[in-house]
Amino acid sequence: MPTIEREIRTGETMQVGNFQITPKTNVLKIQLPGHRAGLIWNRPKAVTVRTSNGQESTLPVRDVTRLVIWSMLAGGLLGAILIGRMYRND
Amino acid sequence: MTDEMNTNPPVEAGLEMFQDTMEEFLAAADVRVVYGEPIQHDDTLIIPTAEVLCGLGFGVGSGSGTSADENPDKPSQGSGSGGGGGGRILSRPVAVVVASPEGVRVEPVVDITKIALAGLTALGFMVGMMFRMSSRRHALPTIEE
Repeated sequence: MPTIEREIRTGETMQVGNFQITPKTNVLKIQLPGHRAGLIWNRPKAVTVRTSNGQESTLPVRDVTRLVIWSMLAGGLLGAILIGRMYRND
Repeated sequence: MTDEMNTNPPVEAGLEMFQDTMEEFLAAADVRVVYGEPIQHDDTLIIPTAEVLCGLGFGVGSGSGTSADENPDKPSQGSGSGGGGGGRILSRPVAVVVASPEGVRVEPVVDITKIALAGLTALGFMVGMMFRMSSRRHALPTIEE
């Protein structure tokens, strides 16, 4: 059975002016038995920003391109189904 | 000295090499792979971020034969080993983190080419469906009274 692992990794904190930035990533690891094949999908998740007065906020890193592409493909599929139904009803 | 051929050292060496490659491959899961080196521009610091997809696979095998001294009825046979592998790394920019004295913000990177291609695919899918449905309707035989 392949091993599927998902984890959130935190990088080193960077000091930029009055801000401390900590990057976070979302890692998906798939390893086949025997460790002879595998797949790693590593993508940015968020950055945690800490100000000098202790305020902490998390800024999510959104993949706009992927969001738009999947929305378009879902819209196309839905449109095709609707067209099919419309023609059938006529 | 023996006539027996030992196939283990090359296989083990190959496996070791593949294990090293696998370890390097696993390094793709590191945070530093996704967040690039910060770029300083006046008071602003820009950190590029990218999505990384990495796949790898390999295999090794070996076989050995018999010697004519052991079995005179059969001819001597040799042995061999081999291995192979392949992999691919895909990387795509996702966003940039802009840190300035005013604050920190995340600016997305929009790939217009990919979006246009996806849009055309979706449109083609819909037009194809429309064409298929209308041609099917025209193909129906008309019933004459």
